[in-house]
Parts: sequence; C-alpha cells; structure tokens
Amino acid sequence: MRTNKNIIGFWGYPHPDLLEKYKQLYPNAQWIDFDIDYGFTDQNILPESYCSIIKNIINCAINYKENLIVILAPIGKDKCDSGWFAYEILKDMGFNIIPSTFEEKNRKRDVKISVSDLPLRKKIELITKGIYAPQNLEIKTVKAKFGFWGVPPNDLSVLELFPDETHVYGWTRCVEAMAPADIELEMYIDKDVPTVFYSQSFCSKAQLAKYLADKHNGLYIDMDDKATNSTKAKIEAFLRLR
Amino acid sequence: MINIVLDAGTTWSKIIEVSSSSLMKDYSKYLIKEENGRKYYIMPSCKLKETGFKFDKGTGHMSLSMLKDEKAYENEVIALIQGFRQKTADDGTILDMGSRDSKRAMFKNGKFKDLDWNSSCSSSTGATIEMLLKFYNIDVKSLVPAEEKYVITCGIFGLEKIMDDISKGSDAKIAVSKFIHGIAHNAWVFAKKPDKIYLSGGFCENECFVNSLGRYCEVVPLGRFLLCEGLL
Repeated sequence: MRTNKNIIGFWGYPHPDLLEKYKQLYPNAQWIDFDIDYGFTDQNILPESYCSIIKNIINCAINYKENLIVILAPIGKDKCDSGWFAYEILKDMGFNIIPSTFEEKNRKRDVKISVSDLPLRKKIELITKGIYAPQNLEIKTVKAKFGFWGVPPNDLSVLELFPDETHVYGWTRCVEAMAPADIELEMYIDKDVPTVFYSQSFCSKAQLAKYLADKHNGLYIDMDDKATNSTKAKIEAFLRLR
Repeated sequence: MINIVLDAGTTWSKIIEVSSSSLMKDYSKYLIKEENGRKYYIMPSCKLKETGFKFDKGTGHMSLSMLKDEKAYENEVIALIQGFRQKTADDGTILDMGSRDSKRAMFKNGKFKDLDWNSSCSSSTGATIEMLLKFYNIDVKSLVPAEEKYVITCGIFGLEKIMDDISKGSDAKIAVSKFIHGIAHNAWVFAKKPDKIYLSGGFCENECFVNSLGRYCEVVPLGRFLLCEGLL
C-alpha cells in the first residue's frame, strides 16, 4: 500500500541508538525537530501560559500528523518532566511515539561548535541539526568575550545580538558533547566570561539559570514566546557594559 | 551639536532643550523648569507625534521614529547609567521606575556590576498608580504613607485587594497607600535590597512612594530627567 508518511519527528536529543535505528529503517525520511517554532497555530491543548518549546512539540505533532512515521520522544533527565508529560499526552492521542532516555555519559565528546567563531545563532542551529545529521565542518576556535547559557530559545533572533566571540554553555553545549543529561557539564561555565543565562519562561531550568546568574554575576533572562524590545535592550546593555 | 533630546516613555515623554533653541516654543504649556541653560519639558507621549519634531538624540522605543538619525538612539539602561554618572561617582544602586517597567544598575568599586530590567509587569510601575489616582479621584499629595502594605505579586491581584478593602469600608486613600507601600517593597527587592537607592523617574515626585521606600533603605531622588541628561 502506498503511504505518504515521510516525516520522523523528534524533540530534545533522542538516544543515538534510536536515531540510528530509524535512519536505517527510513533512509529517505525527513527529520523535523519539534522543539522549533514553525509558526503553527496553537492547538489549545496545553495551558496558555506554558513553556513555548513544549507547545511547539504538541503543535508540530498535530500539524504533521498525517505525514508522521514516528515521533522519537525524550522523556528522561536529558529533556525535562514536561517532555515526559508531552509523550504521555501524544501517546494518549494515538500518535506512533517512542520514548527515549539518553542519560549515559560514555559517548561524551569534545565541543567544537560551541567555542567556534561562528555567529551564535549559526552555532546553535548547527548543534541542534547535528542531533540527526552529523556536522563535519572546518571551524576555528575563538577566545570567548561572552557566554550564552541555556537551551535554544524559542525566538532565535535574540542570538543575533551577541558577537561571534560568544561561547555556548548549558544544555546546548551538552547536546554538542553528546551528553544531554550531564548536569555537571550543564552547570559548567568559564568564570571570567560574562554570561547571559537564558531560560524559556515556565521551564524548570529557570532554577539553574537564575542560580548560576547570581553565582557568577551574569545576566538572567527568561523569555516566553518572542523577545520583547525590553529584553533585547537588557541584553544589549549587558553586552556593552560588561 | 545637540540642541534637543528625548526620553519617550510609554505614557510621558521627557524633553530637554538647550535654552538657545526654540523648537519647543509652541509647547510652553509643557515646560516644567528652566535652569543652567536648559529647558525641561514633560508632555504626554501620545502628543509627541503631532509635534513632527526630529530630535538630536533619544531613548525609549517610541523615540526611534523621531530621531534625525537612527544611530542617535541610545539604549535606556545606558542612558540611565550615563545620567547617573553625571550626578555622582558613588557606588550603589540606581533604580528607574517608569510607567510600565523598572530598571536598575548596580556599581561596586566604581565599576558596573549588575543590571536588571523588569519589563512587563505593571505591579511595580507608575501607570497603575496613575490609573488608581484618577479612578478614585485622589490627589497624590494627599496620600499618607501606610504602615501596612499589600503583598503584590501582580498588578491585577493588587487592584483586587484595593477593591476588596474598599468594598469592606476602607478609605480609598489608605488602600492606595498600602498598594504604593507594596510597590515600594517590590522595588527594594527588585533592587536586591540595598542600603541606599538613587531613584529616577516619575515616582520621585510621589512622596508617599519615596517615604514608603524609605522604610527599607535611604532614598536619593534624582528626578524624572535622568535618562535625558544621560543623552547630553
């Protein structure tokens, strides 16, 4: 029977063995990162005031439903409790969805993109793309002038405020290191590098972001959907003053 | 040469014009004072567009379309810090309380240490107070600082507490004073509980607020034109 199902959806960092299995099973599938905001209409399944990333996941799943082969769904410490609940909701709604836990550290590798001279937005886009498509790039390491700590923001445009000499820390760095549940690496920063600690509003990682910002005299920001002018101005001021 | 600068707030715009310039001559009703070769104006921001002026420098997002050159735009926190530094070289905390947001910067050992910008919650800002004073027809000068305060985590919840107390027979002035006390406490916490606050913005003219904040720390009001002065 002919099928038009050609999409594999995922969020977070599914276990590499699971990624490899589905790459081999469906070599021509299109991989789509459900964490990202593609501008779909909110399906009103989650509360209005809730993590935009988790809302993206639900909205993506419903939008792509007819074309989905499977959803690979991290539910462990490599993602968050909200990822686990999102998995349960989508399973209950009848999606073909596979839970994934990627908490081991034995695959850990050095980071290159996080400390490169690429624009910050490009760095983070390459790191997240690298989850399902390895990035073999010639890249140059640069000394950090600033740091960006956190998950990829829902509004990626905020990253364009930073100079190219910005290193990536937090969960995004853990993803590049193939250790998304490595809490020590997630909490690691370079003490002399002025760092912006970012959290998505309504995300439990705000705990870490606020604590680390206070501890290391950085700037804590949280953003909901899109960055407001004031949020952008606050970051600009921090970058100019530090 | 800089003749006229603008701090375009959400509800009120602050303008400083050098005395030799006469661009604002038709808007003398908004003149607040003239001193040291400068004229100081405050006008409703909704009237700003009709002037058609192009300013030499500006801060506040509403000023962006009213500048001679978009490069003459200055970040609000930077303008605040520059204005603060013109007033004093002291260490400490400068806090700007605006219509809808509050900004602070902290200095230690003569160097910038920390900043924050509470950009969206009306629980700590002036527009809520202005609306309350109009709604209950209260002269701000008649307010007496309240011993008690409302714990205000959100402006809307704060309004609910005022209305609840008034419906139980409380005097509106006392209820608004408790609300202002709650805002003052929030401002002190937002500023990281310092011993001394240099205050900027419209709240400098609200004695009830200044005295309520004074329960927690020393307060040095620097007036409403600090950001504008930071542009000169």
